[in-house]
Amino acid sequence: MLHSLDPRINRLGLPDAPPPPPDKALLDQFETYEVFHQKKEGTAYVYVGPVHAPSADVAFLFAKEQYSRRFPCTGMWVVPTASIQLTGYVGDTESVYDTLPDDRGEVPATAPSEEAQDAAAYAAGEEDYDIFHLKKRGKAHTHVGKVRAATPGQALQIAKAVFGEQRPVVNVWVVRSADVLHSEEEDKDMWATNPEKKYREAMAYRVQDRIERFKQEQQPNAPQA
Amino acid sequence: MNQAALKNLLYRLADDQLILGHRNSEWNGLGPILEEDIAFSSMAQDKLGHSLQLYLLLNQLGEAEPDTVAFTRNAPQFHCCQLVELPIGEYDFSLIRHFLYDHAELLRFEALGQSSYEPLAQVARKLKGELKYHVLHANTWVKRLGSSTEEAIARLQQSLDYTLPYALGLFEKTEQEEAIIAEGIFIGEDALKARWEESIRAILSQTALQMPDLQILTPVYGGRTGEHTEFLQPLLDEMAEVFRLDPTADW
Amino acid sequence: MYGGGNTFEAPVKADGLENEDPILLAEFEARIARGEKIEPSDWMPALYRKQLIRMIEQHAHSEIIGSLPEGTWITRAPGFRRKMAQMAKVQDEVGHAQLLYSAAETLGKTREQMLSDLINGKSKYSNVFNYPTPTWADSNVISWLIDAGAIVNQLANAKGSYGPYCRALDRICAEEAFHLKYGHDAVTHMATGTPTQRRMMQEALNRWWPAIMTFFGPADKMSTHTEILMRWKVKMATNDDCRQQFLDMYVPKIWELGLTLPDPNLHKNEETGQWEFTEPDWEDFKRVINGDGPCNKERLAVRRAAEENGAWVRRALLSPQAKYVKPLA
Repeated sequence: MLHSLDPRINRLGLPDAPPPPPDKALLDQFETYEVFHQKKEGTAYVYVGPVHAPSADVAFLFAKEQYSRRFPCTGMWVVPTASIQLTGYVGDTESVYDTLPDDRGEVPATAPSEEAQDAAAYAAGEEDYDIFHLKKRGKAHTHVGKVRAATPGQALQIAKAVFGEQRPVVNVWVVRSADVLHSEEEDKDMWATNPEKKYREAMAYRVQDRIERFKQEQQPNAPQA
Repeated sequence: MNQAALKNLLYRLADDQLILGHRNSEWNGLGPILEEDIAFSSMAQDKLGHSLQLYLLLNQLGEAEPDTVAFTRNAPQFHCCQLVELPIGEYDFSLIRHFLYDHAELLRFEALGQSSYEPLAQVARKLKGELKYHVLHANTWVKRLGSSTEEAIARLQQSLDYTLPYALGLFEKTEQEEAIIAEGIFIGEDALKARWEESIRAILSQTALQMPDLQILTPVYGGRTGEHTEFLQPLLDEMAEVFRLDPTADW
Repeated sequence: MYGGGNTFEAPVKADGLENEDPILLAEFEARIARGEKIEPSDWMPALYRKQLIRMIEQHAHSEIIGSLPEGTWITRAPGFRRKMAQMAKVQDEVGHAQLLYSAAETLGKTREQMLSDLINGKSKYSNVFNYPTPTWADSNVISWLIDAGAIVNQLANAKGSYGPYCRALDRICAEEAFHLKYGHDAVTHMATGTPTQRRMMQEALNRWWPAIMTFFGPADKMSTHTEILMRWKVKMATNDDCRQQFLDMYVPKIWELGLTLPDPNLHKNEETGQWEFTEPDWEDFKRVINGDGPCNKERLAVRRAAEENGAWVRRALLSPQAKYVKPLA
């Protein structure tokens, strides 16, 4: 049996020389979900990274600890990677909207009332899409708003009309809102104690005083403070 | 307020959290998938944090410092139930223990939010959000695994059958029970157990798992009065191995 | 927790570049020269992709394996403060592995493939984790000095050219700030504590110093290959630069605690501003990284066991409808 310095490992009772395992099958680690967090009440949701998970509800459990245990958070969205439609990437000073063919989905100049729009849109089989912009390569996608459309392609066109003024826009993600799992409003308290977990913050460890005191003690002839 | 009754309750709560937090930390780096490894560790840290807050309440009542209390007592002086002492086993056992324990923990602290001992009520109310996540985590896993493959269902069922008598030990009453209820410190173990049973049954009924008849099970008692399994003393020796090298040292 | 010692393998040949489309290659290089990041769906030379996958993957492996030497003390950390911090730190290492595997995945290698290569011994990880942590003090030395070394390396790499790697490193560096302070705090308490503590710490430092000196890898051979990787901002600093920076920042901090380092030649040459030291035993380093170190076997056995013991869980949860798509960013 393998003998370890780690008592936990000894309790596993591992063989000394286990045979090499077979290669993992594809999806042994599940699909991926992309995660967005809200750092502060009222601010936009920002992309933080993916998790591997078997389903959206488990993805949320994972995302919550992987992406919000060490930082303030007031909400989290989880989206299957496969549900995200994205444009190509352009340079840091450009807008990817400029590269889109400018044909469909003009926004009417005088908008009808919101309720009337809603009714008409849903009757026409339209639904909400969330739009995310990347402002600079290497940074994170940020939620800019919702549009209503019949297809992701149309949603992108409408996003161009609505958010196209913003610049630069290096890349756009379009997500059917129904595919987004949102943390519940009443579950915000799950993050309430984050700021109190000081033991995992650099700020909690201040040793300079101790070091200075030690240095003083090492010099017996040093003048007393 | 009846100090003996209060301390008795606080020791039970704190020791449970400490020992289970310690046990669950053993999974760190060894979990079934990276993301779950992280989530499980967070919950173990939370339990440690809860025990620390409870030991601090005891400290305010004249007991020794949290480190002294946690790292220098021996098994007979511990008031944890035997459920939390058991080795981590395989993931099905650790998950079922987490499920059974955390449901009780959430309900216990919900009730303690109304405790007549205000410092305890404050701690209990503060932990609500953390415990909500713990139970959401446990429920999601039990529901998913409990209605998945035959292999997983069989494992979970076996762990459930094995663990339930120990879980009933969570509700072992001490000689202070009457005083605790009379003083309004806590609703009492019987009331908690009734809520707990309903709460776990509601989740298990959504799975392929069978909930045994609790009436015919023999609860594993003894932990609350210092009778423990063979696993607790080695756990404590291991936990305090460094601390006891030099008890005067500041680590 | 990762240094430069990773690239101690047959280097990828810089050839094959002539097979790349010269126009696309020029655009790619111009983008990097402008200071823009490369994102996953951009065109990139095969060599860039290959080298980045190897580097990020090794970094990820170093995190997951790196959780084990400190994990050795997770159940024995003395006192609440240390116990909770040790748990949080080991947890972070696992979290960093998760972030890094995800970044590498965007380049086209699945996490399954990477984990398989790790547990089958086909991939390397930072060699320092093949050494044991026989005492609590050894764990403290890792928390402080190995993490300090890793931060030197990671801060440099965070300025690299690949967007997903930079995003992961930004988060990792933010989390590592805690590791460094925690490690320094723990070492300081030992070094300024009781005679027992002091002795434990000095012995641990003596044990770990040779490994620490190899952490950044041997001096780079300045080949065309290295030059290209630096131009493409894959490699951001030479191994020697990182080592010098580390020595400059941390040797004085070690000495001020009254601790000594087991290298009589270690000193800063005030004329050159460079640290001089006894050349590490690179033959021994090679031997260990190729599998013959004190803990190589155990590290892989533990990782295999973790994967194997969790297999039933993953089998049970996998949806038959699942379809692999690589993460986006």
